[in-house]
Amino acid sequence: MIKGNGIKLLFVLFLSMLIVACSTEGSVESDPEDNSSDKGSNDNVVIEDEGNKRDEIVIAVNENFITMDPHNSGDRNSNAVQGAMLEGLIDERDGEIVPVLAEDFEVNDDATEFTFYLREGVVFHDGQPFNAEAVKANFERITGDQSLRLYSRGFNDITDIDVIDEYTIKITLSQSNSSMLTKIVPARMISPKALKEEDLTRNPVGTGPYKFVEWVPGDHLTVELNENYWNQGQAKVQKITYRPVPENGARVAMLKTGEADFIFPVPTQNLAELEEDENIIVETNQSTIARYVSLNTMKEPFNDVRVRQALNYAIDKDAFINVVMAGFATPLDSVLPSTIFNYQQQELYQYNIERAKELLAEAGYENGFTAEIWGNTNSDTVRGMQFIQQQLSQIGVELEVLSMEEGTLSERIYGGHGPEEAEVEMWYVSWGGFPSDTDHAIRPILGGNSFPPAGGNSAYFSNPEVDQWLFEANATVDAELKRELYGKVQQKIYEEAPWIFLASDENLFGRRADLEGVYVTPNGRIHVGYAEIK
Amino acid sequence: MGVLKEEVINETTINKSQYSPIKEFWKNWKRQKVAFSASLFVLLLIIIAFVGPYITPYDPYEPNYNSILQGPSSSHLAGTDEYGRDIFSRLIYGTRISLSVSFISVFFGAVVGTILGLISGFFGGFLDRIIMRSSDVMFAFPDIILAIAIIAILGPGLVNVVIAIAVFTVPSFARLIRGATLEVKETVFVEAARSMGAKKTRIIYKHIFPETFSSLMVFFTMRIGTAILAAASLSFLGLGASPGTPDWGAMLTMGRDYLGTSSHVVIMPGIAIFLTVLAFNLVGDGLRDVLDPKTKNH
Repeated sequence: MIKGNGIKLLFVLFLSMLIVACSTEGSVESDPEDNSSDKGSNDNVVIEDEGNKRDEIVIAVNENFITMDPHNSGDRNSNAVQGAMLEGLIDERDGEIVPVLAEDFEVNDDATEFTFYLREGVVFHDGQPFNAEAVKANFERITGDQSLRLYSRGFNDITDIDVIDEYTIKITLSQSNSSMLTKIVPARMISPKALKEEDLTRNPVGTGPYKFVEWVPGDHLTVELNENYWNQGQAKVQKITYRPVPENGARVAMLKTGEADFIFPVPTQNLAELEEDENIIVETNQSTIARYVSLNTMKEPFNDVRVRQALNYAIDKDAFINVVMAGFATPLDSVLPSTIFNYQQQELYQYNIERAKELLAEAGYENGFTAEIWGNTNSDTVRGMQFIQQQLSQIGVELEVLSMEEGTLSERIYGGHGPEEAEVEMWYVSWGGFPSDTDHAIRPILGGNSFPPAGGNSAYFSNPEVDQWLFEANATVDAELKRELYGKVQQKIYEEAPWIFLASDENLFGRRADLEGVYVTPNGRIHVGYAEIK
Repeated sequence: MGVLKEEVINETTINKSQYSPIKEFWKNWKRQKVAFSASLFVLLLIIIAFVGPYITPYDPYEPNYNSILQGPSSSHLAGTDEYGRDIFSRLIYGTRISLSVSFISVFFGAVVGTILGLISGFFGGFLDRIIMRSSDVMFAFPDIILAIAIIAILGPGLVNVVIAIAVFTVPSFARLIRGATLEVKETVFVEAARSMGAKKTRIIYKHIFPETFSSLMVFFTMRIGTAILAAASLSFLGLGASPGTPDWGAMLTMGRDYLGTSSHVVIMPGIAIFLTVLAFNLVGDGLRDVLDPKTKNH
C-alpha cells in the first residue's frame, strides 16, 4: 500500500515537473489548481488544533458563485449558498412541499388563490420583523421586475397580493397554475429594509440559520451561525466557508487533506481513491438532471424524425454511463428523469446499429451526414461529446466536436436570433429542476414558446398537442388527470425524439466522516441546516 | 567541453590537406556521444512519423468500451485510455502530428525570420530599426501568451497552432540572423564582392546567407523542441488539436482527470513529450558545439 502510494507520488511529481517545464517555456498563466490550493493553506482558518472539536467547516464546490440575489439566480451553486442564509415560505423535501416561514397554506380548488399563514416571531438578520408586509414587499419586487428570473416562472401570473392580517397573506393568479407552490419555493425572503437599501446581488439578508459575513468572488464566501434563528439548535457548526474550486483534482485533494469538509460534486474518476480513505464518506443520490443532446428539429437533417430516432438507436446508453459517467447514472428513458413527479417510463431506444442504419436510409441518408456538436469546456462534457462522436461514426454520421467557453456558447445559442437563423445543430447539455415541478422540467426546454432567447428550447421543438397538454396539465389540480396528461406528453416527446436521450445523473458528494447533517438534495442544492461535527 | 573544442581545432589543422566539410562534420559529430544518441532517437521519431500508420498495433481512433483505463500490459504496451483506445498506437500517431506541426511552424518562422534578419542586418538604417523594434515588441510577450492571443483571433485548431508558433518564432530568427549578418558584412570577401560590383541581392544570397547557415541549423533544431512543447501546451489548454485527436497535448488534457486513479493515461504522453523535446534540445546543443562553437554562450 505504502509502496503503491510512493509510486503514485513519484508519478505525480514527475508530471508536475513536466507541467512546470511546459509553463516556464512560455510562462503559461498560473493555473487555477495551484492558486486555490495555495490560498487554501494561507488564509484559511479551518484546520484547528487536533483534539479540540472543530466548529467551522469548509465546503468546496465546482464553480464560482454568480449572485446572492435569490430572485434572479439560475445556477445551482449560488442557490446552494443562498439556502444557508435565506428561506422561502415553503420548501420542498423529497418531493413534498413542506412549510418553512409559512406554517401552513391553503390553495383553492382551481388553483388561483393561495393563502399562507406565516410563522410568528421570526426576525431577519438585520433585526427587521418577518410578517405579511415583508412577504408582500418581496413578491411585489418579483412581479414588478421582468428582468428577474423568477418573474417569468409563474410570478407574472400574479394579479393581487393581499395582506389579510399581520401573519396572513393571499396571492391571486390570473389563471390556474397548479404548480405555483413549487414556483414559490425559490422565492426566498429578503429583509424589506435590504430590499430598499442594499445591492441584493452582494448582500443577502434573510431569516436563515446562517448570516452572511463576506464574499470575495472567486475565492470564498463565509457565513456564520445566526444566534436568533427561529429554529434554534438544528445547525451546530459556527461558521461555514464556501470555496469555489473548479479543478477536480484540487477539490478532491482538499477533502483528502481535511482542508475541505464537504465537496460537491465528487468527480467520478476520483471515487476509487476516496473510497479507500476511511476518514471520507462518499454518498450518492439520484438527481433531477436529465442529460441529453438537443437536435435542432428545424434544421436539416434533424427535421426528419427518422433521423432523430436513428441517432437515439445509435447510442449505447450503458456504455455511455460506464465510460462518461463512470457508472453513476441511469439511462434516460423519458423526457423526465425518474425523480421528477409524473415520470412515466417509456420504451428505451435500445442500442441497435442496424435499426439506426435502416432509419437513416429510409430518410435518405444512407451514407450518413456531417454535423457539429456543441458543448462547454468542462472535461466531462468534452468526454461525453467525444463518446457521441465515436458512436455516431458507426452509422456514418461524422460529428465535429466544438467545445466552447460558457459565455461564447450561451451567446451563440441565446444570442437573440430566431429559429431560422439559429446555427445550433446539436448541443450536449443537461437540465435539472425541482422534483415536484413537472412543468418546469419540460416546458422551458421543449415548449413551443420557449425558443431561445426566451427559453432553453434549443431543439426548436414545437408540437401543438404537447403544448396543449402541458397547458391543461398546469391548469388542473386533479392529480389523476395531470398524470394522464403528462403521460401523453412524455410518450409523444419520446417518440418525436427532439433529443438524443442519454442519462440521468447521480449526485455524488463527499464529506469528512465526522461531519454530519450536510447533504445534497436531488436538484443539487447543498443543505447545511443540520450541520454538525460529531 | 573545453577539451572537445581543442580537439575540434586540432582535427581541423591536421586534416586541412583533405578538407571536406561533411566528413569533417561527421567525425566531430560522432564524438558528441550524448547528442549522437539523441540524434538516433530523433531519427527513430522521424521514421515513426512516416511509417507510423502502418505499424500501429491498433486503430488509434477505435474505442473499446470493454477495456477502458487498463494499465500497461503485453497486449496494450502503454495501456488503454478512457475510451479503451490503445495509448501506444495513439502515441505513434501523435508523433507524426507533433513533428509535422513543429517542423512546419518552425520552418515558416525560420524562412520569414531569416529574410527579415538578412534585410535588417545588411541594409541597416530605417528598415533595421523597424524590423528590430517590432521584434522587440513581440519579444515582450511570453511566447505562449502570444500564441494564445493569436489563436483567440484565429480560433482553435492545429493549422492555427502552426501559424501561432510560426509567428512567435519569427523574431528570434530575425534577431539571430541579423547579428550574424552584421558580422559577415564586414568581412573581406564581402568587401571584395562589393567592390567587384556584385548586386546586393547576390551578395546577400551567395555570400552572407551561407555564412549564417550553421547558426541557423543549430537554432532551427533547438526551436523544434520549443515548438513541440508549445503545440502540446496549446492542445493541453484546449486551443490546439480537437480533443479526439491523438495529439500528445490533447491526450494529456483529457487524461488529467484520471491522474489519481489511472495515471498511465497522462504519464505515457508526458514521457513522449519529455523525451522528444529533450532529444531535440540535446541534438541542438551538439550541433552548436560542432558547427558553431562561438555562439555557445549566447
